[in-house]
Amino acid sequence: MRPVIVRTVLFQALALAVFAVSAEAQQPAAATGCQTCHASQQSATLATPARDFAVTDVHRERGFSCVDCHGGDPAASDKAAAKAPSTGFRGKPTGALIIAVCSRCHSDAALMRKYAPKQRVDQAAEYATSVHGQQLAKGDTKVATCVSCHGAHGVRPVGDAQSPVYPLNVAATCTKCHADPERMKGYQRAGAPLPTDQREKYEKSVHHKAMVDRNDLSAPTCNDCHGNHGAAPPGVDAIANVCGTCHTVFATKFALSTHSLIFDRGCVECHNNHDIAQPSDAMLGTGKEALCGTCHSEGDNGFKAAAAMRSGIDTLKASIRLSQEQIDGVENAGMDMADQALTLREAGNHLTRARTEMHAFDPKLVDAVVSEGMGLTAKVDAAAAAARNEVSYRRTGLAISLAFIVLVVVALQLKIRSLERSTSGSRL
Amino acid sequence: MTQQLLSWLDERLDLSALQHFVSEKSVPVHRHSVWYYMGGITLFLVGVQVFTGILLLLYYRPSAGEAYESVKFIVSQVEFGWLIRNVHSWSANLLIFMAFVHLFSTLFLRSYRKPRELTWVTGVLLLFVMMGFGFSGYLLPWNELAFFATKVGTGIAGAVPGIGHFLLRFLRGGDDVTGATLTRFYGIHVAVLPATMTAILGLHLLFIQRQGMSVPPSVERREKAGEKIPQIPFVPHYVLHDVMWWYVALAVLAALALFLPWELGKKADAFAAVPPGIRPEWYFLAMFQVLKLLPAHIVGLEGEMLGVLGFSLAALVLLVLPFLDRGAGEGRSSPLVTVAGVAALVYMVVFTIYGYLAA
Repeated sequence: MRPVIVRTVLFQALALAVFAVSAEAQQPAAATGCQTCHASQQSATLATPARDFAVTDVHRERGFSCVDCHGGDPAASDKAAAKAPSTGFRGKPTGALIIAVCSRCHSDAALMRKYAPKQRVDQAAEYATSVHGQQLAKGDTKVATCVSCHGAHGVRPVGDAQSPVYPLNVAATCTKCHADPERMKGYQRAGAPLPTDQREKYEKSVHHKAMVDRNDLSAPTCNDCHGNHGAAPPGVDAIANVCGTCHTVFATKFALSTHSLIFDRGCVECHNNHDIAQPSDAMLGTGKEALCGTCHSEGDNGFKAAAAMRSGIDTLKASIRLSQEQIDGVENAGMDMADQALTLREAGNHLTRARTEMHAFDPKLVDAVVSEGMGLTAKVDAAAAAARNEVSYRRTGLAISLAFIVLVVVALQLKIRSLERSTSGSRL
Repeated sequence: MTQQLLSWLDERLDLSALQHFVSEKSVPVHRHSVWYYMGGITLFLVGVQVFTGILLLLYYRPSAGEAYESVKFIVSQVEFGWLIRNVHSWSANLLIFMAFVHLFSTLFLRSYRKPRELTWVTGVLLLFVMMGFGFSGYLLPWNELAFFATKVGTGIAGAVPGIGHFLLRFLRGGDDVTGATLTRFYGIHVAVLPATMTAILGLHLLFIQRQGMSVPPSVERREKAGEKIPQIPFVPHYVLHDVMWWYVALAVLAALALFLPWELGKKADAFAAVPPGIRPEWYFLAMFQVLKLLPAHIVGLEGEMLGVLGFSLAALVLLVLPFLDRGAGEGRSSPLVTVAGVAALVYMVVFTIYGYLAA
């Protein structure tokens, strides 16, 4: 066992032995001597932690106090007595001690059940597998520990919108370090310097748009692909699995394709990783924007397959648009086309399915779905034609009725005049 | 053949009195005669409503779960169902429009003056009944706009001092607009109001036939001065004129039904967000707009309550107008009534347009 790891394990054991858990009450902890004294210090380094802890801190709200992490004797009125070695005073934990201090409670299932029964208790174990954890074990103290992401004092629950690990804030929290070239200097991945433009790219992505513009908190941010406590870049062989966590059907189709055997970076080959753009039909086919041409050239089977799949999807898309125009036209004339609108929506689902099927890169599968969709648009078109005939029939009927009514009105008018002429004598 | 039938009936029922009435009945002819036909058109539209309403009843299902679907079925599946529903909806609106035209023409020509006070009273009551038809019928298709407009409308009824809460619960069949409200409105629309209307309409027509057509005061003065006012026989001259106007109304209805079909909209959903542009039918819009503009409190009282009180008072004044304007019966001019009538007309037109633009 390497000396650094031995040191870390011993440190954790020591921390666990020293800090016996004492906080049982779930009432917010009252201000202790530590807070009173620290809050009145001139030095911001000494005063700010006490003040932050006093304002909002999930631990203080559950009844924990300074001594639970730092040790010491809060009842002592003298600074030397309060921080005497006999009190177990440890000062400010750093590096591996931070993991030990936090995991003392957060890895204790029996204890956590009393405060947050649904919360996992394997954060420390996960952290040990992360790049951060592994670097820390090597003695690299620049890497992130619990407090780097969650904060030390003024810790908020993950669901609190002001928490640095709330979904909307995760990218900013991670890139506090990962977008800092100075801090990331010296770190490498696959022999190349670690990039620092991930956030810049992520903010151009469809995932960021979904999260920020549509406030969809289920949209992925850094930790959804990299993991949070066990943060690490997904391996090449895991990319499809990671994307497939959400894009299940696409991943299943892709797994069936020959590309799954060839693509070194899985989904990333076409969609990129941090700057994932809104996919479009233009990405498929043989046009200038199409990605297929990157590897395939005119005449090869892949080129033909790309052209066939794109053509099928375009045909169905155009057919749906035309059918919609027909529905709109007859609806404007007062016909009820609600059932046909539903059928057309179903055709739209087929278009989505065709776009999904293409991830298997087999034109036959796409063609089958496109044909079903075309069958639906044909039904809609037939109904729209029948509705147009009905409108025409109604208008003809109305024209005949109106002509008849006008005739009757004219006849009545003539009759009235004739009566008035014949009785004009009696009116005078 | 007709002669034989009449003789057959005469033998049994002695129709001579009726024949005498019909042959003797005449209608005065003057430059305001055209307004006489407004009542006839309104009556024709009532007939259209009864006829199309009965046909709609054959398919309509008055429950929250089925009302919308049944109307949809009528307009899309039932042969000529679209025509019947569109004509019913358009005719309802034309009917109220014509009733207002009839009311204002009667008001400006002072036809309510003695001895026709009761004809006026029954006419105003008929207008209220027709507005009740409109209010209750609006909800029956159970679509989104009607649902929320009924919520607002019944909410306004809740502002009536003293009986507001009772009235609101009575109309809604509970604290909120639900399927119970629909059933209640259906009962009111197809049973209570038709029975009421039949009785009042019968009296209204009886009074008209008994008293004959009123002539405007200016014509009456000429008549009193010895001038002979031309007359036309009721049958067939006047009846033929009436029928001609009815045909014109029918043509307008048919054209509206075909070229401006009445939208069904989305099915009502009590849990959906209130859609924008919620407003009542146009004939309540002027009142609705005023209630919207009133401040929450006026001299310590609720603004909406004061507004409802004001409109109730205006309705009462309208109902008893002939008894307030006694001078008209004695040949004295009443400019105040003309000014009030013009003001009411201008208010209705301006605030209805404002209501549409503001929504």
